[in-house]
Parts: sequence; structure tokens; C-alpha cells
Amino acid sequence: MGALDGLMQGFQVAFSWEGILFVLIGVVTGTLIGMMPGLGPISAIAIMIPVTYGMNPSSALVMMAGVYYGAVFGGSTSSILLNAPGISGTVATSFDGYPMAQRGEAGKALAVAAISSFIGGTVSVVLLMLFAPALASVAISFGPPEYFALMFLGLTAISSLSDGSTVKALISATLGFMAATIGIDAQTGTNRFTFGNPNLMEGIDFLVIALGLFALAEVCFLILNRKDKSLSKQSDIGNLKLSRDDFKEMKGPMTRQSFLGFLLGVLPGAGATIASFIGYITEKRITKKPEEFGKGSIKGLSAPETANNAATSGAFVPLLSLGIPGSGTTAVMLGAFLVMGIQPGPLLVQDRPDVFWGIIASMYIGNVFLLILNLPLIPYIAKILKISRPLLISLVIIFSLIGVYSISFSTFDLYLLLAFGLLGYLMRLFSFPAAPFILAFILGGMMEQALRQALTASGGSLLVLVEDPISVGLLAVSFLSFIVPFIRKKREDNKQNQDAA
Amino acid sequence: MLKTMNRKISVVLILFSAGYLYLSYNLKEYPYVPVDSDLVPKALGFVLIGLAVLLFFDKSSEEEGEKKKRTVPKKEIGVMAAVGGMIFIYILLFEVIGFLLATALFIFFCSWFLGYDKWVSNVLVSLIFPSALYYLFNYLLQIRLPQGILPF
Repeated sequence: MGALDGLMQGFQVAFSWEGILFVLIGVVTGTLIGMMPGLGPISAIAIMIPVTYGMNPSSALVMMAGVYYGAVFGGSTSSILLNAPGISGTVATSFDGYPMAQRGEAGKALAVAAISSFIGGTVSVVLLMLFAPALASVAISFGPPEYFALMFLGLTAISSLSDGSTVKALISATLGFMAATIGIDAQTGTNRFTFGNPNLMEGIDFLVIALGLFALAEVCFLILNRKDKSLSKQSDIGNLKLSRDDFKEMKGPMTRQSFLGFLLGVLPGAGATIASFIGYITEKRITKKPEEFGKGSIKGLSAPETANNAATSGAFVPLLSLGIPGSGTTAVMLGAFLVMGIQPGPLLVQDRPDVFWGIIASMYIGNVFLLILNLPLIPYIAKILKISRPLLISLVIIFSLIGVYSISFSTFDLYLLLAFGLLGYLMRLFSFPAAPFILAFILGGMMEQALRQALTASGGSLLVLVEDPISVGLLAVSFLSFIVPFIRKKREDNKQNQDAA
Repeated sequence: MLKTMNRKISVVLILFSAGYLYLSYNLKEYPYVPVDSDLVPKALGFVLIGLAVLLFFDKSSEEEGEKKKRTVPKKEIGVMAAVGGMIFIYILLFEVIGFLLATALFIFFCSWFLGYDKWVSNVLVSLIFPSALYYLFNYLLQIRLPQGILPF
């Protein structure tokens, strides 16, 4: 089936009344949750998973995709209005968005963000439509060694690219992988690390980890900042109108960052956060007036907003065509697929074209919805930021608990959730990034499977991993991505020592 | 020797991997496969020890922001522990008294404890929110939440 036929089928899914309804529900909930300071797309997706039970998989996943990019879209609102980014992908948005809001141009800033997000999102969906099937047709020949190498690359990349210490990120990934080894081994039936507890035999559910490490850990910080500023002091957000000159300023960053952001989103480990920062930095470097950046520059607001939304769709390329998530958020998204009984990967485009093309087609519609929602309705939507923090905290806790209970029906998992919440809080306190943990947890089982399949086929010889040019190349890149940060740091240290001397 | 936080964490991690490795070496053998279920756990255990050693000798001092993030006032730790305790009690009572009652009580007391002083809206939210969720899950999604002592 050609891409065009596929897309037509996708639009049939997306334009059915059910499709439209679920895209709308998805983007609205995503925007609302993403807007809450502290709650990001990972929490948003994890909270929404129980709602999809019993739904038709293509509608459910169309909705989850909507939650994902809706949350990225919504995150910008709290960045601009409160200087409290909802998600790390919109931190760069606050650099110029908040100064604009302080100048009384909050409405204008929100409009710039909405339009930039729309362009970034839409351009990258076109690219996603072109690239995902192509990559899938290449990946169809991949065997276990290539898959192992690919996932290994994903893990090392997210660790070396996450902010802060690479060693800490790698430790976090290793711990996540260890958590994945708990339970009955699929190949031999051996009970591993279950301590005879029947509740652990099936392993830990990914929702326990996603909601614990993210939603509950975020609750701890919400508790700390519960007396923080809220929107109640701010009254008017000002005019939403943009002049022709404003559009002229936005044009450059929007075109460049749509492509750059998409590219960074496709790469394993990068994602929206890095795309938004790189977008901001590149625009600052090429502009004629870099001194305006940080003081409310339209370019400086438009660049990260375009880039983070472009990266969000870019991240769907490896997820849909390889079945391998490149970031913590797409790892949770993969979990949502698996809950519905859908295995993304090179076969998805043939086996479930309704899902594959349905998601892509729905993104066109979703982006239009987001634009419509955000432009005229934003002053009203932003009122949700007035919700009192103590109440918000209680509700988020309940959502997390119910989310876990509704998949396992066991209170044991609830205690486990509480434990992971504590772990997530401690990790944050000591600056261990949580995204590598969840990615390794979800990739861990798949990686072990691929490794052991490869080794079984070769009779136990590790050479099978380096027999094929593709897996050799991928492993080489993984080691490079692992070593380069260390070398760079060494060099910086030496330089500092020299300067000091 | 344990001057920096990194070193303390590193020692904890090494002890943890030692325990993990001990369990990995005691996994039951399954003789009919070329690679048994203990291969990956063993490898992970050694990787974690290696990384913990790297962390131990990681000289980079923490940034000011990171340190500041860690200084949480004692009172706030108490508040968080209390919320954790409330969650614990909620889980204990969840299947006994049922979703509706437990959730209503939790939302009311947790919000009140954290400083939400609008009584009327607190009571309203504590009643409406669990009821709406209960209806959504039990009747629309067909996911049975514990009924408990209430008749519905």
C-alpha cells in the first residue's frame, strides 16, 4: 500500500466522529495537564492510560498521541504566565515568554507560542509521514543483534544527553534495567528477584514506575512549593493580536526550527527539551540582535516553541517504525501501545495501517484543534492555573493511585507506587535524572530478549553482535556517545586548571 | 572518606549491587539453554559497581543550585511524610471501606492539611470528584473499583 492510500485510510480513522472526538479529548486533557506546573507529558500519558481500557485501539492511541503533543503545547502557557514551566521542554520558552508577560504582553506571547507550536507541529507531521514508513521498510530486515544495538544506542544516548552528570544518568539507566529483571523470566521460567512474592512474579508494571517516578515525585515538589505564586494575582493577559512585523520576526525561526526540531526529535535520546534549547541557542547565534534574547524577544520565544513541538512528532518516527522509544516520554507512550495490545515496529504499517496512519492523520487535526483552542480560548483555559495547589496535590495523588489500581487490582502495587514515588523524589533531590530509568525499564525487557535470542542463535558467542555492519555501526555510535562527554569534561577541567594556573 | 554526597551515594550503590549480584549468582540454573537467565543480571550488577566507582571518584563539585535544592526545611519533610502517611492509610482502607468513602476522606483531609481553607468548595470537591470517577470507572469503563461498605 502506498503512503497516499495509507494516509487516506488514516484520515478515515481520524475524521470519523469517534476519531475527532478522541483527538479533541486528548488534546484538551493534554493541554490542561501539561499546563499544571510540574506535571509533564509522562504524567499526562500515564494518568490517561486507564481511561483507554476497552476502547478501540486506534481511537485510544489517537487520543494518547493527542495527550502527548497537547501536553507539550500546554506546558508553554505556565512557562509564559507563571515562569513555572510545566515540563522541561518548555523551560526555554520561559526565557523570553515570561519577560513578555511581565511587560503586559502575555496575550501576544501566548499567541506567538501557539502559532509557532502549530507550525512546528504541522511541518513535522509531514516529515513524519514521509520518514516513518521509509524507516520501517529498512528496519524490517533487522534481526535481534541489530535491535539490541539500536536499543543500546537509545540508552547511552539518553544518558549522555540528559542534563547533569552522565555517570548519574547511566546509574539511573542501570537501575531501571535492574527493575526490569524482576519477575518470571520469559525464556526459562526462572523466578528472578521475586523473594517468593506472587505479586512480583509478573514483574513490575510500567505504570507503577511511570506514575511513581514522575507524578508522585512531582507531587513532592508541589508540596514544597504549595504556597508559590499562582495566577490569581495576575489579572489581564492583554491583547492576543499580532502585527505584520511580529509575523516577519517569527518566520525565520519557525522555518528553521521546524526541521531542526524534527531531526533532533528523531534522534534517540534528544527529544523536546534538547530541541528547544538548541533551537533557542541557534536563533540567538544567527540573529542580528542577540541582546534582545532573554528580554522578551519574539524570535527567542518562537524558536523553542517551534522546536519542541516539531521534536514531539519527530519522536514518533522511531516509536512507530522501529518500536523503540528514544525518550522517557515515548517509552511511556510505548507502554500505552502495549496496553492496547499493539506492538509498534516495522510491521505496524502493514499489520495495523489504521493505527499507524490514524495517528499520523490525527496529528494534522490535533494541531489545528490546538491552534483553535489556544488562540481564542487561552484566557479562559489559563484560569485552571488558579486551582489551589493543595487541592491539585490531592487530586494528582488520587489519579495516580487509581491509575495503578485499575490495571492490577492489587493494593500491593499501590504500596510499590508509593515506594517508587519516594525513590523518584530522592533521585531528583540528588540530581539523578529519572527519564533514563523509565526508558531502561521499558527497553530492558526487550533488550534482554534480543540479546538472548541473538546469543541463542549463535550458541553463546558474543561475536554475533558485531557480525553485521548495521549493528557494528550502531554500537560504535553508542560507545562514542558514551565516551565523548567524558573527554569533553576532561578537556574543560584541564582548561579550567590552566586558567587557574 | 565519605566527605561528598557522591561518595555516600556511591557506597550505597555498591552495597546494593553486591546484594543484587549475590541474588543473581544464586538464581536457579536452567540447563537447556546456551544463555541462562542469570547472564543479564550479572552483567548489570558489575556495570553498576563500575559506575558507582566512577561516581566515587567524580571530582566535579555540585552546582550551587543542586545543593540548594537539597536543603529542604525540616518542617516540610514532616509535611511530606504526613502526606505519605495519609496515602498509606488510604491504601490500607481502600479495599475495606471502598473507593468512594476513602477517596472523599483523603481529598478532604489532605487538601485541608496542606492549607486549603475554603471549606465549602473542599467539601464539594471531595464529594463530586470521587463520585464522578466512580461512575466513570464502574459504569462507563467497566472497571470495578472497590465498593466497600456502601451499597453502590
